[in-house]
Amino acid sequence: MSRSWTRSNAAASALSAVTALALLTACGGGDGDSSDAGKGTADKPVSLTFWAWQKGSKDVVDAFNASHKNIRVKFEEIPSGNAGGYAKISNAVKAGNAPDLVAVEYPMLPEFVSQGALQDIGPYLTDDVRRKFLPQAVDLTTLGGKSWAVPFDAAPQTYFYRKDFFEKNRIEVPKTWAEFRTAAQKAKEADPKARIATFMPDDPTTFEAMAWQAGAQWFKAEGDTWKLNTSDAATDKVADYWQGLIDDKLVQTAVSFSPEWTAALKDGSTVGYLGASWGAGVLKSTLPDQSGKWGIAPVPTWDGKPASGMLGGSTWAVTKGSDKAAAAVEFATWMSTTEDGVRARIAPGTSSAFPADVSLRPAAKKAFDAGFYGGQDIYGLFDAAGASINPRWSWGPTTGTTNTTLKDQFGKVPGGSVTVKGAVEAAHDATVAELKKRGLKVEG
Amino acid sequence: MAAKARTSRRTGAAAGVLLAPFFVLFTAVTVVPIGYALWLSLFTEKQSGLGFGGAESVFSGLDNYTAALGDRAFRDGFWILLGYCAVYIPLMVGGALALALLLDSGLARARRFFQLALFLPHAVPGIIAALIWVYLYTPGLSPVVRAMDSGGIGFSFFSSGGSLPSVVNIALWEWLGYNMVIFYAALQAIDRSVLEAATVDGAGAWRTAFSIKIPLVRASLGMVALFTVIGSLQLFTEPLILNQGSGSAVTSTWTPTMYAYTAAFARNDYGLAAAAAVLLALAAALLSFAVTRLTTRKGARA
Repeated sequence: MSRSWTRSNAAASALSAVTALALLTACGGGDGDSSDAGKGTADKPVSLTFWAWQKGSKDVVDAFNASHKNIRVKFEEIPSGNAGGYAKISNAVKAGNAPDLVAVEYPMLPEFVSQGALQDIGPYLTDDVRRKFLPQAVDLTTLGGKSWAVPFDAAPQTYFYRKDFFEKNRIEVPKTWAEFRTAAQKAKEADPKARIATFMPDDPTTFEAMAWQAGAQWFKAEGDTWKLNTSDAATDKVADYWQGLIDDKLVQTAVSFSPEWTAALKDGSTVGYLGASWGAGVLKSTLPDQSGKWGIAPVPTWDGKPASGMLGGSTWAVTKGSDKAAAAVEFATWMSTTEDGVRARIAPGTSSAFPADVSLRPAAKKAFDAGFYGGQDIYGLFDAAGASINPRWSWGPTTGTTNTTLKDQFGKVPGGSVTVKGAVEAAHDATVAELKKRGLKVEG
Repeated sequence: MAAKARTSRRTGAAAGVLLAPFFVLFTAVTVVPIGYALWLSLFTEKQSGLGFGGAESVFSGLDNYTAALGDRAFRDGFWILLGYCAVYIPLMVGGALALALLLDSGLARARRFFQLALFLPHAVPGIIAALIWVYLYTPGLSPVVRAMDSGGIGFSFFSSGGSLPSVVNIALWEWLGYNMVIFYAALQAIDRSVLEAATVDGAGAWRTAFSIKIPLVRASLGMVALFTVIGSLQLFTEPLILNQGSGSAVTSTWTPTMYAYTAAFARNDYGLAAAAAVLLALAAALLSFAVTRLTTRKGARA
């Protein structure tokens, strides 16, 4: 009896989330050794805490600690952003016990900035450093004229496919979305179970990357007004296209990186994956038995000319409460812009990160063992794809709301009770409502 | 006189000492958090310009309450709960009672074994149960779905129409045995001479069950109904796992508790989350009151 939750006080349980928050607030103290704003010395090193989930992060931290005396980095692995990592970060910031440096993907950066969870790192980021990065990555981390994060990787969308399956069934690797659909049909004819891609209802960013590629611009800042446009021709085109693929059962449906998705890849019923540069490491570590069978192609485009949106991509940001911003930025810059930092991450083999620092790509290429892809020059491909990232796109300050709504609605798409277009409309309405609730000006 | 006053003062002090730990803990983990939630619910974060200048917490009166009530997702959550209760409670109470009557009847063999076997699922934590069931619902992985498909029953547990049955099924699996034990204990407590009298009067097993046993366990029926209603209002773990791990049609705001959770942890709107939680607590209080009144009156008449 006493173990039953029915006995607990209804009100108290309903408020449990808030209770947890209250306790967090009560327990959250300062950061311990403060007044250490400087960069630290070998005698008196600064200690930093760093939260991330990106593959190879632990290796980078070990390499940094081994080669630096003035800064000690303590790494703590957290769940990936969408799987609870972001909630963990915002709660820690609210509670006042946040780490100094955190990983934030480009889409979520504006949300964190608007919550006031991060600090402006402009003073510590020199122009020399800034110039090293892909301009699109710098744009996405500069909000309201201030720099909020050190870009780490660029994540151009790419298409992964089972080379052996495509060759055996004489299916051409699609260059356009029209060819992609044809390839999907051919694959299904060759093997009724085979699908060349997966619709991931939990992952709105793949859809957003495609809208981005097609030229959509959901969030646009004009003066101090947000102009929201999700019903443009480009977004509609992408929505209709996916609706068609789903209705005609030309794509698999599975949660991203779920056991279901992995099982379908392993038994060969899923023979393709619309991912991004970092996906090369994911596939390689998920499917060691299929080494040599995979190839990578640029993501198909609408008109055959190279174009890409970005699917995820990580940055390092300093939390508001940290008084060690200088040291945190020094470490973040080392991870993002030095050969040692990039090599330490990629060499262990799980990460295929594509550095936003253009000059480091040869080092990244050398560090990544591309045997899984039959020795293909995948970094050369990422390079071309990275240059084709459409620079017009920017993310709004309410990505949390936009993407949660989109995710909720996408879950209903495979069952047919909501269309892809309907899902986008719902996300639009929720975003407008959220912006208004925060007291921001919005049109659309 | 003086001695009496001293004794009563001493009992008062003793009571104070003995009750203090309870009140300290009660204040720290119940009263303060509720007060803090009420306080939070009166504030909202406002931003200016494009929203990149950080947020400022502003007193907003009852704005969060009107925002929650004005949000269709929040109101829909209550409809879903209503639908859930309408399906779940009859199945649960009916099923648990039927199993208990079976165990209590002369037909049952291996009583201890079945009691334990039926109770066992309740020993599995809700989150684990939900994870197991998500696996059993997932097409392509689940042997159950495969068997159903080959048997010609193509049912998608993750579709919009499948959400409610999927969640009800998990809850039934977890709670049926537990409530069965409560009913069984009540049935065992019935005075055997009453049952013997009924048998002597010529009542069969069915007649005894419906006319004697069920009326005599009415009090525990009421109690189970009350707990189940309140438990339903707190429906959270199972649908959350379905929402996060399966790509099913269960949304992140499927039930009011999930709405509060999402508002706080996905949208970072603690004010809205607090308001939603307070509204839910009010609904729970009203409902408990109504159910208690209803069942006690019934009990008095019986």
